[in-house]
Amino acid sequence: MPKSQFIDPVEVRKPGSIQFKEIPVNQYSKSIEEEKANFSNEEFVNIFHDMSLIREFETMLNLIKIKGEYEGIEYNHPGPAHLSIGQESAAVGMAYHLGVEDFIFGSHRSHGEILAKGMSAIHKMSDDELMDVMTNFFDGTILNIVKEGHEGNVKSLARRFLIYGTLAEIFARETGFNKGLGGSMHAFFTPFGVYPNNAIVGGSGDIAVGAALFKKVNKKDGIVVANIGDASMACGPVWEGLAFASMDQFEQLWEGAYKGGLPIIFNIMNNQYGMGGQTCGETMGYDIAARIGAGVNRDSMHAERVDGYNPLAVIDAYKRKMELLKDKKGPVLLDVLTYRYSGHSPSDASSYRSKEEVEAWEKQDCIASYASDLVGAGIAKETELENIKADIVELMKYAMKLAIDDKVSPHMDMEKYPELIGDMMFSNESLDKMEDREVEVNHPMEENPRVQQLAKKERFAFDANGKPFSKIKQYQLRDGIFEAVVDRFYKDPTLVAYGEENRDWGGAFAVYRGLTEALPYNRLFNSPISEASIIGTAIGYAMCGGRVIPEIMYCDFLGRCGDEVFNQMPKWQAMSGNVIKMPVVVRVSVGSKYGAQHSQDWTSLVAHIPGLKVVFPVTPYDAKGLMNTALQGTDPVIFFESQRIYDIGEQFHEGGVPEGYYEIPFGEPDVKREGKDITILTIGATLYRALEAADKLKEEYGMEAEVIDSRSLVPFNYEKVLESVKKTGRIIISGDANSRGSFLNDMARNITELAFDDLDAPPVVVGSRNWITPAYELEEYFFPQVDWFLDAIHEKIVPLKGHVVKNNYTNAEQIRRNKLGI
Amino acid sequence: MATPIIMPRQGQSVESCIFTEWTKEVGEEVKKGDALFAYETDKASFEQEAEEDGVLLAVFCEEGDEVPVLQTIGVIGQPGENIDEFSAGTAPAAAAEVKEEMEEKPEEEKEELKVVLKEKVEGEKVKISPRAKNLAEKDAIPYESIEGSGPGGRVIERDVKAFAASQPKLSPLAKEVAKAEGLEAVGTGSGLAGTVKASDLGTNPVYAGDFEIKKMPHIRKLIAKAMHQSLQNSAQLTHHLGADARRLLALRKEIKANEGAPNITLNDMVCFAVIKALKQFPDVNAHFLGDSVKYFNKVHLGLAVDTDRGLMVPVIKNADDLSIIGLSNQFKEVADACRTGSIDPELLSSEAASFTVSNLGNYGVEMFTPVINLPQVAILGVNTIVPRPKDLGDGVYGFVPYMGLSLTYDHQALDGGMATRFVKQVAIEIENLTFDY
Repeated sequence: MPKSQFIDPVEVRKPGSIQFKEIPVNQYSKSIEEEKANFSNEEFVNIFHDMSLIREFETMLNLIKIKGEYEGIEYNHPGPAHLSIGQESAAVGMAYHLGVEDFIFGSHRSHGEILAKGMSAIHKMSDDELMDVMTNFFDGTILNIVKEGHEGNVKSLARRFLIYGTLAEIFARETGFNKGLGGSMHAFFTPFGVYPNNAIVGGSGDIAVGAALFKKVNKKDGIVVANIGDASMACGPVWEGLAFASMDQFEQLWEGAYKGGLPIIFNIMNNQYGMGGQTCGETMGYDIAARIGAGVNRDSMHAERVDGYNPLAVIDAYKRKMELLKDKKGPVLLDVLTYRYSGHSPSDASSYRSKEEVEAWEKQDCIASYASDLVGAGIAKETELENIKADIVELMKYAMKLAIDDKVSPHMDMEKYPELIGDMMFSNESLDKMEDREVEVNHPMEENPRVQQLAKKERFAFDANGKPFSKIKQYQLRDGIFEAVVDRFYKDPTLVAYGEENRDWGGAFAVYRGLTEALPYNRLFNSPISEASIIGTAIGYAMCGGRVIPEIMYCDFLGRCGDEVFNQMPKWQAMSGNVIKMPVVVRVSVGSKYGAQHSQDWTSLVAHIPGLKVVFPVTPYDAKGLMNTALQGTDPVIFFESQRIYDIGEQFHEGGVPEGYYEIPFGEPDVKREGKDITILTIGATLYRALEAADKLKEEYGMEAEVIDSRSLVPFNYEKVLESVKKTGRIIISGDANSRGSFLNDMARNITELAFDDLDAPPVVVGSRNWITPAYELEEYFFPQVDWFLDAIHEKIVPLKGHVVKNNYTNAEQIRRNKLGI
Repeated sequence: MATPIIMPRQGQSVESCIFTEWTKEVGEEVKKGDALFAYETDKASFEQEAEEDGVLLAVFCEEGDEVPVLQTIGVIGQPGENIDEFSAGTAPAAAAEVKEEMEEKPEEEKEELKVVLKEKVEGEKVKISPRAKNLAEKDAIPYESIEGSGPGGRVIERDVKAFAASQPKLSPLAKEVAKAEGLEAVGTGSGLAGTVKASDLGTNPVYAGDFEIKKMPHIRKLIAKAMHQSLQNSAQLTHHLGADARRLLALRKEIKANEGAPNITLNDMVCFAVIKALKQFPDVNAHFLGDSVKYFNKVHLGLAVDTDRGLMVPVIKNADDLSIIGLSNQFKEVADACRTGSIDPELLSSEAASFTVSNLGNYGVEMFTPVINLPQVAILGVNTIVPRPKDLGDGVYGFVPYMGLSLTYDHQALDGGMATRFVKQVAIEIENLTFDY
């Protein structure tokens, strides 16, 4: 909602009609003779080679899956193998013009794309560059294996390297491209520009957009190709990716070198089936997938259907589309028509298509027809092509033997190193900036109006006499977050932040007030209301080496980016064998007062997912320190904030919130009040109600409660809590999440196990009810209240003399509620 | 129709009884008049007979239970009868009372930890928090005997701490020994400030395990408590003085020689003399109430009686109205009642007697220091008769039978002079006793 853009009612109310830009379909019509001008004989043959390489690779896997052997070599591969036999021309055509600096993202069916892009890189890279890549990758582990007994040039060594590394990865070997942690559906190799392939249909649809954003914001060369299937065009996140990629602001608001569209091609590998569902005629309505472009932007995304059975047609299309991207006319949509003969997976009986159909396509096989064209045009002799194929078979036999040899290609030794995978879940690095160059900002930090305003604030909530300053005078929680964020914007040139209403508005809760003035559009912008794209693009941005703060305005909207938060962001560091870092700090605001879909604390959901760090600071000091730590790290962090307390001052840290930079280590809970009779451990803003309960316990029952703020959920160091329980023998664990399945229970379980002998009563969880969050007026019956603490203590821990309970904490009630599921 | 078996009420002041045992088993046939169950009050044990014929259908209490009087403890009826309406259950009135009491209690007590002990029941699962259990085990505290104050009666840390605070401290060695041998410290120890030493635990390298520890019966515990409280809560001392017993012995001889005369014992005579003395010393025939004294017009004489169940002190009301024969008869009656356990509990209360006599003369005791039954101000111990040299006049000494009198009195209530004059008066009354029979 920039003020610079005037929405003129006179203009927008005018009658008219939309004219769609024409979308070409299979318009390529050049003969091979004509193409001789564009390709040398060697290049023509290389295309044949690359397609045949893919065909043989997939055929080998198919035979291993269905017969348990290839060329007499037996092997059982229990894992997945989604093959693309028939689609080779589409893959090779796609990759032909791409350079190493161009990134591809793929799907579960991407072996062909890996090999095509890998070979494309090998063809283009110099011997030195190739040696450099191979020598440095995993300290030369793969190179050392494949160079053994190798005769020939560096390119042929690199070819061995590519085939072996991919196959070893598919077979879950530690010597694979991702240490065997990615496998068939996730294998990739970034030094050749092959970025993660995604086993979630459409998973790359928004992640790849983030990679394009990275290229644009950081002025990197190259384009990004999102290889997604025709069936993924029904997936919400893919549409969200399209919407994000086609935002007007790139053209209309971004300035200077940043003006213009994202360098991305949505490449629909249209094999015409989604598993068994036929996208044209059955499960979709687009008829020709390229039609989708018409609905996305004025340019119809420069969409086009290309005959993917002809590699030269695809190469031709890429040449044209890459020109468009160079002119910042992206995004582009390509509908590359192809067909797979192999089943969705080896277990596929092809019950959804006729034999005749498969045979008809096989008759026009992309490799065979290309080969006959080459022979017909005198570019190659049949025997030459046969020799190439025979050589490929030898290469496959070689790679397979090596990849299944447990001595050469072992699986990870989990016996000897049981924590190998554990050690890969987080990268745990501490980096001031992701790249070393000048930061781009609009003015020096001290000239920023917000920074100037903060200088006048009271950084501790109370004056010398313990009297609180007025709210307006106090340095608030939102200020703590702002200070850490603005500091990082002036340190890390790659840092970007976006989400709903982040610019101009300054964030729905005024955390970013002042940032708009400090930063250009390319570092701070408003996203569509489209959480999957907000998180998905952030993942892609981080994969490529940038740091990013996406924002989810309400915790309740996390469900809208479920796949991105649960399946993508947490997984890629470990799935890449630690090749990839994921410095994404997701700011998530936990609401209140707004009822069932705007007031939920879902900290437990993300804490459940391995691979995410989860923090929930509730004081300005903690917020700034933990945000600094989050932004210094290289791991995905879900940074929870509570709308109840954005305006709260610092009540605990003596001397107030430091003006300078400081970090608070993740995982360390903080004792906010000392006591000896009972421990109260809280998550989130519940801290303040726990403190009130502690006051009441002291005044009315003479009990001194020790109140501990967990601050972090993942990681979490129990030592301080155990120390407290050793002293008090009693503990209540409380937070605003509804109690069933909540992380509070996880804490209770750990404390029970770790402090059993110190406990004078079972750890008691005081969480919210297992209901919808009701209206503000009824919230006191839903969220933990001061009385709830006393009632729970009285009923479950130690009877309080004369206490009259208001809430039912009896065992019978606990059983009843669980019986009813409420 | 099934009828409930009720815990009988024994006197106005008895609120609950300790159930001892069922003499019939559930399902067994019962005839009216058959012994059915036994129970105890603070003061005595009782046996209850069946009040009708039938079959014992159900029982709701077991040995050691404290049962409020008038509560249903079992059912007699015909086999197969529905007895649902008779389930155990506390009288609602009593529960309400307890609640009220709780509410009334002011909050200042919050820091005070109270120890409530219970009978340890073999095989019963003790609910105790791990923390409390660790603490108890570390300090060798018998947590099975502590009534828990936590939710659902769970023994929690504060209960163990309160118990520990109420107990003598154990030396480190004593703790180890107590833990190893499962012993409990009883009473104060012989170490500094009453610290219980290992040797106090009854563990001994010489006799080792050559002993058996038996639970004391309820009545014994009550006596123990009363005696201990008496010594703790009063300033007791004892004066010993002899009385020339020639007159008494002569009277006894005369009675014995007289065929058909009632069997008036030396004890009857001494008590008769005591009553006479008490009439002259109202300060002794009194209760000491701390800041006031209750003087009695009549003499209600308590007499210590040795029974199998333990020491009992039944009282003879208005003893000063009785002739020596009346007194003698009443003594025999209450002593028998005590021995058979049928004594009215009201007569056993130390509040009921204005003065007590404890006679150990029969057993040859020459001197002892009886313990006062509070709130009485004194107790007279009567010793055996021993010959003592006496100046018979004119420088002639002869052996004369003397009866030892040991008066223990509460110096809070009586001065030494008064006590001395009283015990002297008892001697004078004995030496000059006359009565008709």
